[in-house]
Amino acid sequence: MNPARRAQVLVGAAIVSALALVGVYLAAGGSSYTPEKSQDPCQHRAWSNPEGLQEIANQFSISALDGAACKLGVTRETLARALATPEARERFAERYGIDDAKLARAIRAGLVRAIDDAEDAGALSPLIAGPLRGTVQDIPLDQAIELVQNARSILDTASSLLGPAGELLEEFLP
Amino acid sequence: MPRPRVAALALAVGLVLADSSVVILALPDIYRDLDTSIAGVTWVLISFNLVMALAAVPAALVARRVGPARAAAVGLAVFAGAGLACGIADDLSTLILARCVQALGGAAAVTAALELLPASVGSERRATAVWATAGATGAALGPAVGGLLTELVSWQSIFLLQVPIALAAAVPILAVAKHEAATGVLRTEVRRTGRPHLAANIALAMVSAAIAAALFLLVLLLIEGWRLTPIGAAIVVTVMPLAAILGSRLGPLVPSARARAAAGAILVSGGLGGLALLPKAEVALTLPPQILVGIGLSLVLSALTETALGGRAPQAIHGGWTISARHAGVVIGLLALTPIFTTDIAQQRDDAINAGTAVILDSKVNPLLKIDLAQKIEDRLEGEKGKVPTLGPAFEPLPSDPGDRADVEGLRDELQEQLNRGATHAFSPSFGLAALIGLLALIPIGLSRRVEL
Repeated sequence: MNPARRAQVLVGAAIVSALALVGVYLAAGGSSYTPEKSQDPCQHRAWSNPEGLQEIANQFSISALDGAACKLGVTRETLARALATPEARERFAERYGIDDAKLARAIRAGLVRAIDDAEDAGALSPLIAGPLRGTVQDIPLDQAIELVQNARSILDTASSLLGPAGELLEEFLP
Repeated sequence: MPRPRVAALALAVGLVLADSSVVILALPDIYRDLDTSIAGVTWVLISFNLVMALAAVPAALVARRVGPARAAAVGLAVFAGAGLACGIADDLSTLILARCVQALGGAAAVTAALELLPASVGSERRATAVWATAGATGAALGPAVGGLLTELVSWQSIFLLQVPIALAAAVPILAVAKHEAATGVLRTEVRRTGRPHLAANIALAMVSAAIAAALFLLVLLLIEGWRLTPIGAAIVVTVMPLAAILGSRLGPLVPSARARAAAGAILVSGGLGGLALLPKAEVALTLPPQILVGIGLSLVLSALTETALGGRAPQAIHGGWTISARHAGVVIGLLALTPIFTTDIAQQRDDAINAGTAVILDSKVNPLLKIDLAQKIEDRLEGEKGKVPTLGPAFEPLPSDPGDRADVEGLRDELQEQLNRGATHAFSPSFGLAALIGLLALIPIGLSRRVEL
């Protein structure tokens, strides 16, 4: 092979190798290998036919986080981690410039949204939803956070608020 | 000329040029030991390359004036002394200062070596080939050797080991220096014959920026992104110098320096393109891109160096220009790409953590377990500020209930996958930009058509 031909073969082989590598990696999903994007917390998240108290509690927590995060302009995931410990909450407050009063308002709004969603999904009777809305709008911040983290306790709260009617609570739950 | 002298000169060139990248894998350890910032520790790398870029041509002029053997021997002695200072430095300022002095000595040794080699190997063309190959091999081997030493001994050992090697290389050169002094073969007049080959030097700078990105970013991806140990990363990046050796065997088969340079630049860009489009966080997937980059760097660096030096004299000064161009390229590459990927990695880390948290929130595990996991993840994030965290320990101890245990293990794997995605994607824009710089080098390579060896 003459030198000119060798030069052509070398450059040609380089082009083919480079394109083949890039093409194979692209075809294998190289351009979409990214973390899943966080969902907008202000968008409604449909409840999936909840069955049992724990699943209702799970979806209630998510709705409450979505509602609170929407009010605060952060992702629900950021808010969930911020509420994990008092130190995390302090760091969150400092980073986003959110004081306790603003956080409390947002979380209460989130809890109301969760009650609305639960009612819409048929997971909570209007008989319980009404008093619950009134209750969560006045509860202190720490208690509101506890309700978001462990929504099951809200049902106990509702039960105690409703007095004898609370005994019927389980009847209204799927 | 005896073989030991050629070997000593090649060793000196390889040793000095390996130093431009040898500390890459040691940076995390230096960062921890000297309690500094990421930006600060990057200067351990940048300072050496910057001084090499600035000092190479003046050092060549000095070598012409005082005699190349004397300049090479003194340069190696300075390099060794500064290496010792690097090895015992206990703060960042001392280390960076010693690195600058190392680069001064290294610049003198490398440029003077080019002046000495023709007499040792019989022709300027062969001398250029030996010089360029030694430099390319050193640059490619640097990270792997540095990583192994860091893991097996310490980061200080990288510099301390250079001391006896540099002194050993200086010994055969000293004999020539004595001969120079005895015979009065000192060149007191510096002739300027021919301007530097602009196109080849610009191409060298651009390709060097791309190669620096390949080495630096890949090492960071492996260690900081995928959490490999330095020794693990060193083993992985060994593929690149091995491929470079293969590339150096291809070179002689194609006489056209322009074709070799173009093919090399295309391969380097293709490899970087592959690294920008990794479809999964798997070490094996970095191997094909590394092979392309390794073969490419060997072809392009030697071809462009030959082009820049071909038919030009004095060799030391034009060699100085190539050293200057290469190291300026490395500095520009590091300075331009580091801010891009550090911003991206912070963003991608947050996205990955959010995606992982979303998986936990949407899972059906007990809410109390979710709170516990959220607390532990938050603690890990706080403990590893700004880094991609290792979240495995956040899931320990695993629940005793087999059902819960399976759920938690699934969450842990999914969260890790999101982190891997984030870390890998964070490097994509920088790799992509480096690939583009490598491709743009084809323009000056195309303009260098008039000079063929």
